[in-house]
Amino acid sequence: MISPRKSIYAILLPLAVVTLCVMPWIGQKALPWEVITSGTHHTDHSVDALIFWQIRIPRVLLSMLAGMGLSLGGVVFQSIFRNPLATPFTLGIAGGASLGVTVAIFLGIHISLLGISSTAMAALLGALLSIALVYGLARATGKLEPTTMLLTGVAISFFFSSIILLLQYLGDMSDSFRIIHWLMGDLSRANPDSLLQMSPFVISGILITVLLHKELNLLSLNDDLAASYGLQVEKTRMTLFIAVSLMIAGIVTVCGPIGFVGIMVPHVCRLIVGANHRYLIPASLLLGGTFLTLCDTLARSMSASAEVPVGIITALLGGPFFLALLFRKSSV
Amino acid sequence: MDKNKSSTISVENLSYRAKGKLLLRDISLSIPAGERVAIVGANGAGKTTLIRSLLGLIPTEKSSIKLSGEAISSYSRSDIAKLISYVPQQLPENIPFSVIEFIMMSRYARNVGQLTTSSNDPQGESIAMGIIQSLNIEHLTHQAIATLSGGEKQKVNIAAALTQQAPIIILDEPTAHLDPKQRESIQQLLHNLSRETTLITVTHDLNWASLHFDRILGMLKGTIAIDTTSAAFTTAENLQRVFDTTWQIEPHPETGKPMVLPSY
Repeated sequence: MISPRKSIYAILLPLAVVTLCVMPWIGQKALPWEVITSGTHHTDHSVDALIFWQIRIPRVLLSMLAGMGLSLGGVVFQSIFRNPLATPFTLGIAGGASLGVTVAIFLGIHISLLGISSTAMAALLGALLSIALVYGLARATGKLEPTTMLLTGVAISFFFSSIILLLQYLGDMSDSFRIIHWLMGDLSRANPDSLLQMSPFVISGILITVLLHKELNLLSLNDDLAASYGLQVEKTRMTLFIAVSLMIAGIVTVCGPIGFVGIMVPHVCRLIVGANHRYLIPASLLLGGTFLTLCDTLARSMSASAEVPVGIITALLGGPFFLALLFRKSSV
Repeated sequence: MDKNKSSTISVENLSYRAKGKLLLRDISLSIPAGERVAIVGANGAGKTTLIRSLLGLIPTEKSSIKLSGEAISSYSRSDIAKLISYVPQQLPENIPFSVIEFIMMSRYARNVGQLTTSSNDPQGESIAMGIIQSLNIEHLTHQAIATLSGGEKQKVNIAAALTQQAPIIILDEPTAHLDPKQRESIQQLLHNLSRETTLITVTHDLNWASLHFDRILGMLKGTIAIDTTSAAFTTAENLQRVFDTTWQIEPHPETGKPMVLPSY
C-alpha cells in the first residue's frame, strides 16, 4: 500500500496541477496558445483571449475551489457528527439556500447590491437561516449533540423542500424552470466577480479546518474520550460547524447545490490515505477540486447547444464509481 | 509544584440531578495521591456518574469538586487532562486510526495551541513507544485499531491513558468485556503501575477490588454507603448492604486477604 504522504504528493497533487493547467484549453471552441500572452487587449485573438481569461480561467478556478470546499465540508461534517452519511447538504444548508432562491424567484425580486444578484443574496440568506435554525434548535434542547444536530438538519431540510415544492406548484412555468435549473447546480454563472465573491468563504473555511486538524481527529473518537484528552468538545464542534457551513453557503450561493462531491470524495480519500485528518484534509481538497473541475469541463463541452448542469454529471459519474469502490473494498 | 498536592481529589457535598432524577446525593470524599480506590455498587448506583463528575465531564456545582485544592471549574479542559486520564469501559466502535496514531492523540493537552503534528512531538513519541514496549504491544504499533481483539484494544486504551502522563487515572470497568485470561493480563498491568499513580476504578469484580486496592467505596442509590479500606469493606454485612445479596467470605490461601464467593 502507498503511504498517505506519497499518495498526496505523487498522485493527487500532480493530478490537480495537470487539471488546472489543461482544463482551460478544453471546450466547445479550440483556443490558440497565444491567448496566454495576449491578455484581453485588442489583438487578432481578442475573442479567444476573452474566452480564455474572462470565462475559462475563472470557471476552472471556481470549480477547483468549489470542489475543494464541498469535499472538505463532507470530511468535516462526517467527522464532527461521526456519521458517514453526513454532508453539509444533509444539514439543510443547501435546502436553506434553495428556499431563499425559490422565494426570490417566486416573488420576482430583482435587486442587486454591490454587484451581488438577488438570487445570490437570497441563497446566502437562506443558508444562514438554516445554519441559525440548526444551531439554535440544537442549543435549545440543551445539548449540542451530533445526533440532535443531524436530525434537526434533516428535519429542516425536508421542511424547506416541501415549501420549495409548494412554491413551484403555485408559481408559473418559467419560474418553475428557473427554480429547477438552479436546484440542479451548475457553474455557468462563473466569472471573475463570482470567483471573488466565493473565495473568502472557501479560503477561510479551509484555513480554519487545517488549523483544527488534530481536533478533528479527536472529535471523530467520541465526546468523553476527546474531552478527557483535553479537547473543548462543544466549542470546537461549533467552530467547525459554523466555519464549514459558511463556506458551503458561499459555494451554494454561486454554484447552486452540487451534490455528491461532499459525500463521494471524502470516502474515496479515506480509502486512499486513511482517516487521519493530517492527510485526509489535503487529499480531499486536491481530489475534490480535481473531480469537480473534470466534471464541469465535461458538462460544458458535451453539447454545443446547451450546457449540462454539472450536478447531473457529478452524480452520474460519481455514483457508479463510488459503488464500484465500495464493492471492491468489501470483497478484499 | 508538590506532586502529591497537585493530584489530590476532594469532593464536598456533591449532588447531581439529570432529567429530574437525583443521580448523586451529597457525596463527600478525599482521595490522596497514589491511593488505589475501587468503586463498587449495583447497576444504577451512580458509579459512572461519580467518575464522570470527577473528570469534569458533567456540570456540577462550582466548588463541590476540587483538584489540588482548586475548584475543578477553574481548570481548563487541557489542564484537567494533564492531571487526570480516563480509561473508558471500551474504546469507541470503529476507531479509524492506527494504534500509534490513536495513542499520540492522548498527548493533545500537552501540545494544544502549538502547530505541531504527531510526527513533531518527539518527546511524546518516545514516551508512547516506551509504554507500548512495556505493555508488550509493539507488534500492534502500526495496526488499525479496528482489527484488534477486545484485550488488545483495552491495552491500547490503557497505553493512551499512560501516554497522557497524568498522575491520576480513572477507569470505568476496564475488564468488563474481557475473557478471564485477558482480564488477568489487564489487572496485572494496572497492578504493576507506579505506586505514585492514583488509580480510581469502577468495577464489578469484587475480588480484584478486595485483593488489589487500598480502599473501596460502596455506592448505593447515589450515595457512598461505605467508604473504608478494602480489608474492612469485604464483609458479608457490607456486601449485603451494598448489593442486597448474601455472599460468603473466605481468606485468600496465600495473602489471607478476604475473598468473595457466591453463597449458593
